[in-house]
Amino acid sequence: MVELWFAILCLMFTLFVVLAGWDFGAGALHFVAARNQAERRTLMAAIGPLWTWNEVWLVAGGGVLFAAFPRVLSIAFPAYYLALFLVLWTLILRGIALEVRGLIDSGLWRAFWDVMFAAANISLAILFGAAIGNVIRGMPLRPDAPLSLPLFTDFGVHGMLGILDWYTVSVAVFTLVCLCAHGASYLALKAEGEVYRRATLLTKWLWPVTIFLLLVVSVETFYVRPGLFSGMAERPTAWIALVLAAGGLAAVITGPRSGADRRTFLGGCVFIAGLLGSAAASLFPEILYSTVSGEYSITAYNGSSDASSLRAATYWWPVAFVLSFAYFAFVAKHYRGRARTADYGHDPQ
Amino acid sequence: MTDDAAFWHRIQFAFTIVYHYLFPQLTMGLAWFLVAWKWLHLRTGEARYGKAAQLWTRIFGITFAVGVVTGIPMEFQFGTNWASFSKYAGGVIGQSLAMEGMFSFFFESAFIGALVFGEKRLGPRSHFLAALGVALGSWLSGYFILVTNAFMQSPRGHALAADGLLRLSSLSDFLLNPWALLEFCHNQCAALVTGSFAVASLGAFYVLRGENGKQGRLFLKWGAAVGLAASMIVAFPTGDAQAKLVARLQPQALAAMEGRFQSGPMAEITLIGQPNVEKRQLDNPIRVPGMLSFLAFGTFHRNVPGLGAFPEDTWPTNIELLYYSFHVMAGLGTLFILLMALANLQQIRGRLESSRRLLWILMLAFPFPFIANTAGWMTAELGRQPWLIYGLFRTRDGYSAAVSSGSTQFTLIGFAGLYFVLGLLYLFLVGREVLRGAGPAMENA
Repeated sequence: MVELWFAILCLMFTLFVVLAGWDFGAGALHFVAARNQAERRTLMAAIGPLWTWNEVWLVAGGGVLFAAFPRVLSIAFPAYYLALFLVLWTLILRGIALEVRGLIDSGLWRAFWDVMFAAANISLAILFGAAIGNVIRGMPLRPDAPLSLPLFTDFGVHGMLGILDWYTVSVAVFTLVCLCAHGASYLALKAEGEVYRRATLLTKWLWPVTIFLLLVVSVETFYVRPGLFSGMAERPTAWIALVLAAGGLAAVITGPRSGADRRTFLGGCVFIAGLLGSAAASLFPEILYSTVSGEYSITAYNGSSDASSLRAATYWWPVAFVLSFAYFAFVAKHYRGRARTADYGHDPQ
Repeated sequence: MTDDAAFWHRIQFAFTIVYHYLFPQLTMGLAWFLVAWKWLHLRTGEARYGKAAQLWTRIFGITFAVGVVTGIPMEFQFGTNWASFSKYAGGVIGQSLAMEGMFSFFFESAFIGALVFGEKRLGPRSHFLAALGVALGSWLSGYFILVTNAFMQSPRGHALAADGLLRLSSLSDFLLNPWALLEFCHNQCAALVTGSFAVASLGAFYVLRGENGKQGRLFLKWGAAVGLAASMIVAFPTGDAQAKLVARLQPQALAAMEGRFQSGPMAEITLIGQPNVEKRQLDNPIRVPGMLSFLAFGTFHRNVPGLGAFPEDTWPTNIELLYYSFHVMAGLGTLFILLMALANLQQIRGRLESSRRLLWILMLAFPFPFIANTAGWMTAELGRQPWLIYGLFRTRDGYSAAVSSGSTQFTLIGFAGLYFVLGLLYLFLVGREVLRGAGPAMENA
């Protein structure tokens, strides 16, 4: 039961990173892939009406974390208090920018929200990356004192830990570049005209850079948390995920060269999902890893709620999961093909 | 200084939830107007319904967006600010919050973008379905939140696990908590009041300005009709039943709501007065004898216990604010019925559009349902004190010990600043739609 809920939680956060990831990535490239306001409107139209649906995977994933692993929530959220509020405030800015940018036909209005939008997306990609870095690196958990991490200390990965250190920052940079590549693949699939042209160009070099950074981060991870690789060696699930990631990797390298937009895009999705999946499978059952001592770690077993609560959730969760895709399909079928600029905003612009 | 931290955590949650709920109450109320108008437009093909739906969809879209972005912090604050409570009750209330995400957020979020920007893409039928999806999704979302709140008010379906934390013993008892069902009817009708007052207000504005009068008259008629029905149901049977439930399950809360310190039969209802907690009395009261006994228990002679009948550590912690909140809610609710009854009377007599004074009142009345809704929620939440989960877990034990009061003050100030700007932006954008709606473009379109 606990294993199932750990898998569900990982599935939901993986879906968030893959689905909302292309929105964040495209948004981070707002000034790179789109050079004037008309093109930026195309970019936002490509992000499309389902960006909220994509983002709900984060909120719903938070809900599932609450229901299934309340201890994890009650330790990690206060520990990362200020960082989490940075995320929340940036999410507010991003959502507002996306919703109101198209409401008023004024160049200044649009220019302002364009900057807010791009800045919010870049910050969020970095913040989420740092969060992944923190989960992998671990935190100084001990049973006698509540955990609270400063934003940064000496940027070292031993001793007094901060949220940002050289390792979490490099994971954050990797995440930003990877999501940008993913966003470019998405734009290459959905956008038209100049935005499309630039996006295909971006996929050609952003994916190789992503892979180079992945190698760097992997070596760093081997130094910071060797347990990830020893876990990986003995878990067949992690191997399958790694094979998927490798397949996705092949697609993102070959796809842009042969102009296969769909292959590049799907390859990117599989690559990201495979990476997250293999990390999750390797780290199981540890969720909050204690750098003080392994016995203080919060695992799926000692962090989960009671079996009766988990069982109840097992009845309704699959129903909701299937329904959520049914709604998505109903709307998405109307938005098949490349985005039209008229899909975003009320005014002629 | 630990109490100090608890105070700031409470203020932050209260501020962010009150601010957030200004927006969903309007969208949950407006959603059914959109559904009805889009349906009529689809059936009859009459342009006025289509135009009404279009204008209100734009206002709805802006309101919904602010509701969404201010809603995301709410769920996260359970973890950041109320970690001890989340740990203790997560196995139970985590369920309803997760269900809200899984069942309603995906539902609403799939359709909202298509509703706001996608009329051309979707075509009339699917666009109507999008409006219906958003309406159903947002009401479903309301239900799951009220299940969560009902558990805190009157816990059902839980048991204590071996590790001392709560676990779910019956999902159906938890989801079908009588408190939740009643609170849902009461609260959703109150949201309809907010929506219909907004619709009537805009109608009055257009008629008074002499612009877009055709739409204005439609808004007035619909706003007044739905407004009367909804404000009556808010009072009776839902408000009445809710009061009886409070009398039975939270007698201290009822006593404090009425500023009642001494017990006794033929209990009076207080119309006006100031609670004086120090002297254990109500200053300058105007009361109607017997009415409280009747309203709470259905007979005039029944004894209604005062606060004195209960140990002081189970009294609500802020009796004055609770008393004023309750009286503001109940007083405004009564005025809403009178105002909307008068508007409908004039409408039937065909004189509503010429009653300028009444139109002025209707135009300026739209903020008051927001106040009444807020006061109602303050009544519910202050009445629950000193408990976070009634009878099980105290509020002062629930906050995050790891977060200093200074950090909370910092984030609270951050929210205040961000939400102030967000509020200005909202008013500006909605005001713009209101004026555009009055313009010649809409009149002739």
